Amino acid sequence: MAAEALISDTAFIKGCAAIGAGLAVGLAGIGAGAGESGIGAAAVGAIAEDRGFLGLGLLFTVIPETIVIFGLVISFILMFAYG
Amino acid sequence: MLKPERMVKVSIVGSRDQLETAAEVLHRLNLLHIEDPVEVERFKIGEPLEKASFVSRALVQLRSYLSYLKIDPTKIIPSRKYKAKEIEEQLSKKLEEYQEMIGKRIEEIRSIDEKIRALDDELRIIEPLKVLGIPPKLLKGYKTIRCFVGFVRDDPTERFREITDEFEIVTKEYQKELIVAVFVKNEYAEEFFRILQEFGYREISVPDIEDYDARIAEIEKEKSELLEKKKTLETEIEEIRVKEAEILLAMEEYLTVELDKSELPLRALVSKYSFVIVGYVPKSDFEKFKTEVENAGLVVEVVESSSNDTPPTKLKNPAVMRDFELLTTTFAIPKYNELDPTWIISIFFPIFFGMMLGDIGYGLLITVIALYLKRVFKTEGWQKLLNIGIYSGIVSIIFGFIYGEFFGPFEVPGIEKYSETHFMGDFLASLYAFHHHEPIFDRVKEFGVKALLFITLAIGMFKMLWGFALGFYNVYVEHGFKEALYEKGCWFLGVLGLVFIILGFCYNLGIFTNNPPEGFGHVLPDNLYVFGHYTVEDAESVPLPIPGLVEGWQKGVNVFYLAALPLIVIWFIIFLLAEIPKMGPFGIIMGVELLTWFGQIISYARLLAIGLSSVYIAFVINYLGLKIGMPPGMAILPLAIIIMLIGHGVNLILGILDPGLQSLRLHYVEFFTKFFEGGGRPYQPFGRVKRFIEE
Repeated sequence: MAAEALISDTAFIKGCAAIGAGLAVGLAGIGAGAGESGIGAAAVGAIAEDRGFLGLGLLFTVIPETIVIFGLVISFILMFAYG
Repeated sequence: MLKPERMVKVSIVGSRDQLETAAEVLHRLNLLHIEDPVEVERFKIGEPLEKASFVSRALVQLRSYLSYLKIDPTKIIPSRKYKAKEIEEQLSKKLEEYQEMIGKRIEEIRSIDEKIRALDDELRIIEPLKVLGIPPKLLKGYKTIRCFVGFVRDDPTERFREITDEFEIVTKEYQKELIVAVFVKNEYAEEFFRILQEFGYREISVPDIEDYDARIAEIEKEKSELLEKKKTLETEIEEIRVKEAEILLAMEEYLTVELDKSELPLRALVSKYSFVIVGYVPKSDFEKFKTEVENAGLVVEVVESSSNDTPPTKLKNPAVMRDFELLTTTFAIPKYNELDPTWIISIFFPIFFGMMLGDIGYGLLITVIALYLKRVFKTEGWQKLLNIGIYSGIVSIIFGFIYGEFFGPFEVPGIEKYSETHFMGDFLASLYAFHHHEPIFDRVKEFGVKALLFITLAIGMFKMLWGFALGFYNVYVEHGFKEALYEKGCWFLGVLGLVFIILGFCYNLGIFTNNPPEGFGHVLPDNLYVFGHYTVEDAESVPLPIPGLVEGWQKGVNVFYLAALPLIVIWFIIFLLAEIPKMGPFGIIMGVELLTWFGQIISYARLLAIGLSSVYIAFVINYLGLKIGMPPGMAILPLAIIIMLIGHGVNLILGILDPGLQSLRLHYVEFFTKFFEGGGRPYQPFGRVKRFIEE
């Protein structure tokens, strides 16, 4: 006897899409954070040497954030398509 | 507006004894950017004028007073300007007076401090002895007995007993340590001393006094007298500070100016009888400069500029935009022949900031805080930064009105009642009565997110293309058409191809053909709303009027894709022409860079993302506050208020930092890198803007 499905197919797909959306943002966030940690530390070191580096240092630090934006866009698309 | 101020290269020539006149005139005009000279035969770098040594000595003296009095020139607004003549006449007299008034007092305060320190040291010795309780005359002056007085870590009595029983010891606890007095016959003294050392013995030298208490009282009295005296001196100095601050600063400024002038010869080439100074003058001021300098009896000659010259950069922007020069120069100073992007950043920075933050409440707070801080921080950099804050705050208010947000949105999908979403929900909804009680553009709704996503990408595509176009112009000016085409033009075409591909994708999703859902916007024309469905099957895209392109997979092909194809081909050909000679066959790999530009277009989606996150934080804070503070939980209303205050405070700080940084980044990384190299030299004219004195 085949096991009765606990949830409907649509609900399953919706759930998977939600998990996928979460993973897209979450993993991208971890990656960006790992990237930023190194850059941030180096930038603070450079700023300590020369205050004039502040602007450029800040700029370098936020560069990996684009990755999170990619993740977010993907999660939006997932949620719109299946949410 | 687009380019830095044009410069004229000039040389100023005169006889050697005219150097002083030249210094006077040039410093007053404050126009000439002097180039540092290179020595040649017979023309050597000059020596400072005679007065330099006197001036710099006086300046050192004056500045030491200023730093002692802690006078901050940026905090003092002069009530009147002093005449330079007036200061010159009084200078030596005033300096002597100040030596008498301030210098002497500072000396006196220092010697008082010295005395107090000595008394404190003495007190530090007497107090433990007093605890010990043995009068000082009993602690020294024996012939056959040795007396040790000092601190130890632990009680050494047991160890002493191992040597002899003939000794006397007194121990008392004093501030976590033991203080001991040990009396022992001279013959055991050395051994006892060794044991004491093992216990970390620190000797106290017993002072020549009669009685501890009497001496302590004496010291206290002396100290309070000295402190009294110091206080009087300090109030006197404070009075002087209030009264003389302005004239002190005026004198400092006068002396700095004089020092500048007397050091002019260091930046000139001087021969036996003549001197020459080379530098740049802004073109618009050249006529005035020439007449003034020639009236002083000097010769001004325009020097033909050669291609090796690098004139200094003086940015030229309308007054409102000048504040944003701070953002441009933080990235780099434009080269003389480069486009100055200040006006672009001055328009788009506040717009991006407002698009992201978009909240009436936060915008108002930022504006008010910036206005307040403007009165506290008077330095030029702060003023500029705070002005930028004010512009950004105002734009945030405008966008907040469009988004319908005041410390968070009043309408959130899934919650029926406005009063549950926002602490002023019903009131805000009634404000939007002109728009069916809904925000003009609701970015929290699904459709709003989709629409904003497309709008941000459109902004991205536009700015990418714009950046490459400006880059094309910059390279064209510097290196000619072919270089410009290879370096920037080809990427412009490639990105244009990408743009058409993205638009084609959007077209297939029905973005340009579907109307927005019921209940969204009503003010703007329906066709402006975008993003209907996300799958090709569902989309109601209009088939192209091309035979054979209406069935099957071909249904997906549209005008935009057709336009993109030749652009990508042309880009690839030009790209190969540019890269292969430089890099060899492997240069083809560099074509992947096109994907980077695609990524940078997507990167503009942060305009939506950053904003949404702050909207939801604000919403959560409001929701929490309302749930806690409303019936049945009324009793803990104060907690709700605290949560809301702290929450909105944190969100405001995030709302300043993040949109600010991201908006800056969208300019620096995604935009400036396409055309802006920088590396110019700032224009620093010989002279000084005078705050306290006038001619």
